[in-house]
Amino acid sequence: MEGILRNAARAAAACATLGALSVTLPAWAQERPLVIARNLEINSLDPHRAFCDTCQIYLSATYQGLVKLAADDRSIEPSLATEWKANDNQTEFTFKLDPKAVFSDGSPVEAKDVKWTFERLKNLQADPSFMMKGVTAIETPDDKTVVVKMESPNSEFIGILAAPYAGIINSEVASSNGASAGADAATADKGETWFLANSAGSGPYVLDTYRPDDELRFRANDKFWGAAPAVKEIVIDQSADAVSQAQMLQSGAADIAMQVDPDTAETVASPDLTIETVPSYNYIYVSFSPGAAGNQTPLDREVRQALAYAVDYQGAIDFTVGGKGALQASPIPNGFPGTDDLPMPEENLEKAKELLAAKGLQDGFTVDATVASINVYGVDLALLMQKLQQDLARINVTLNIQPVASAVWRQQIVNPGIPFSARFYAPDYYGSAQYVQFFGMVPGSWWERNASGQGKVDLVNQKEVDLLQQALAASGDDVARLYREIALEMINDRIIVPVVSPNLILAYRNEVAGVRYSACCNLPLAELSMK
Amino acid sequence: MSLLANQSASSRFVWPEWATLPLVGGGLVIFAWVIVGLTVTSWAPFDPVKLAGMRFQAPSMEHWLGTDSLGRDVLSRTLYGVRHSFPIAVFVIGCAVVIGCTLGAIAGYVGGWLDGVIMRFVDITLSFPPILLAMAVTASLGPGLGNAAIAMVIVWWPIYARLMRAQVLSVRQREHVEAAVASGATRSRVLIKHILPLCWSPIIVNATMDFGQVVLLAASLSFIGLGAVPPTPEWGQMISEGAVQFYRWWIALGPGVAILSIVLASNFLGDGLRDYLDPRAA
Repeated sequence: MEGILRNAARAAAACATLGALSVTLPAWAQERPLVIARNLEINSLDPHRAFCDTCQIYLSATYQGLVKLAADDRSIEPSLATEWKANDNQTEFTFKLDPKAVFSDGSPVEAKDVKWTFERLKNLQADPSFMMKGVTAIETPDDKTVVVKMESPNSEFIGILAAPYAGIINSEVASSNGASAGADAATADKGETWFLANSAGSGPYVLDTYRPDDELRFRANDKFWGAAPAVKEIVIDQSADAVSQAQMLQSGAADIAMQVDPDTAETVASPDLTIETVPSYNYIYVSFSPGAAGNQTPLDREVRQALAYAVDYQGAIDFTVGGKGALQASPIPNGFPGTDDLPMPEENLEKAKELLAAKGLQDGFTVDATVASINVYGVDLALLMQKLQQDLARINVTLNIQPVASAVWRQQIVNPGIPFSARFYAPDYYGSAQYVQFFGMVPGSWWERNASGQGKVDLVNQKEVDLLQQALAASGDDVARLYREIALEMINDRIIVPVVSPNLILAYRNEVAGVRYSACCNLPLAELSMK
Repeated sequence: MSLLANQSASSRFVWPEWATLPLVGGGLVIFAWVIVGLTVTSWAPFDPVKLAGMRFQAPSMEHWLGTDSLGRDVLSRTLYGVRHSFPIAVFVIGCAVVIGCTLGAIAGYVGGWLDGVIMRFVDITLSFPPILLAMAVTASLGPGLGNAAIAMVIVWWPIYARLMRAQVLSVRQREHVEAAVASGATRSRVLIKHILPLCWSPIIVNATMDFGQVVLLAASLSFIGLGAVPPTPEWGQMISEGAVQFYRWWIALGPGVAILSIVLASNFLGDGLRDYLDPRAA
């Protein structure tokens, strides 16, 4: 009898403990970090050296620009600047800073920080430096006023400032840790290592820790001057492929999976998960580099056109993202200014063969095709290459596929160059000029330099240069008209051939709210919350 | 009467002593794969690198092992895979045996400083984990089956050098060798005619067992992207493709079973050969 009573007492105690736990669990759940599964692939956390998709997420959470992109992915909203104005010919922009704005150390955001940030972004001569191209002077009449002067009209400048790379840095903190904004910043700046462990912005989050190929951890900025973020701690957990991300999501190890591809999404079925498919501005393209050192056959315009005709575009969409994507006409993505009614890429084997025969290449040739071994936006680039290999084999062109690590690809595309490759791009802000300045055959653009083998062959398209100048000075309907003309020129260049604009899969647990795709920033972390 | 005679004949049949189950079983599997490799081009159901149907088809009567992410027939790719794995294994083992045994025999027979130099080099090479050394060499040479094969030769030859040296040191003490030396035979004749013929048994056994390991290492290098390049139907690469399609289990099934069968068969064959060639060790 005594034993029975003792056991009953133990059972009651156990029930009481469980009851207490069930009461405390929701509170604990609120405090736990929100985990995002993602392939980090970060090239840097220095705002002016970083240039990657995860960098966009990081920078938009820890830094703030003068303006920001609204949720409609088109219009511009105030951020650090409460108001701004441009002169009539778009060469001078004046910004008034919000007097309440403070950095994460509590110091106020001042005009000198803006000046220092823009000068460093320009002078560092890193990947995002093109955003400050044409800036001739930055004046600071007072602590809260900034005047930016351009050498030529730039109607997209305000849009550019919504890019995460234009986030304003606490200049005193960064300078005291080796960062430099001077004209010699490209060699004098020693701040990159410090930025790997620290952030110096005014955003809703600060960098807690970064462990390469492991995790990127944010914590809420205690001194944030805007509305405090709902989630106190967010972790982006390294997860290389779609399957492992989906498994993390299903097991509860992750709350959001960012790179689940459509094929994997089909296999994920759980009432606890939300799977959304949304169109994106991201796209995958193939590139030709006529100036690459390993080029056996001259990849002139007709040859490039022939190869472009041999691609089965719809098949590529079916094979890479299970049909969940869209064709894209030009390197300026669908939906951006100037892309209405552009001619979509065409598969035409007869024309391809005719063009090659006219060049005496009817028996075909071999092209080296180095590609990064990564899955991006649900597209396995090596798999896409194999599909293209099958397509081009129909016109006797052999692709010699060499998968390499993404970092190796970044080096090889610069030197010695890669004759034929595939890569991806996501917008940094809403505006078409970024695509012309990155993909266009205008002097000094990233792809003009690399496709020409750093100037070994002349690929500059003067018409694009002229049209870009006109577009940057234009306003109203002229903007779209001019960018459309540029897009047609870029199509005709056949240096960059878009293959697929994949839909984006947003996969997250039902208790997460605020998950959305942003054209500039991928995933705005500050909008996330737990139900 | 003739029936009785036949029964009597069959009852008298005795398996040869060497024909043990591991040896025959392992040998048959390897032999079957060799035949597949030599003849598959004439009877494989589909071209291994071309579209054969809808992508991600589960196993069916048309595609016994289903199709992969590019709609290629997994069975055909698996069968063609042997045409890449076997030649590599033969090349690697052949080169490793020739290089390793030559250096090992010289080290063991000549001795002195030459022995010291060769064996220290062997020690250094063996001090690296094989997979890491192979990865490092392949990464520096660049992806590709040819480079992977060179990397594996670098990994494998020291094993045979050490084995051969030990055998030579053991055999050179025997009386028939001393007699040959006393009768005025040259050093090279003593080594080639009187020592080496008695050293081959463990080398053959080891080489047989290593055959499967080389296939496995080649597949491992391809799995991590350092071996075969797309669209080569190589088993490691196929498993790598299957690994990212976790829920489409059939993509990795064929190559996985192929590797398993060869590694098991080469181990059985090696065991059987050891039993036959060196009964004392058994």
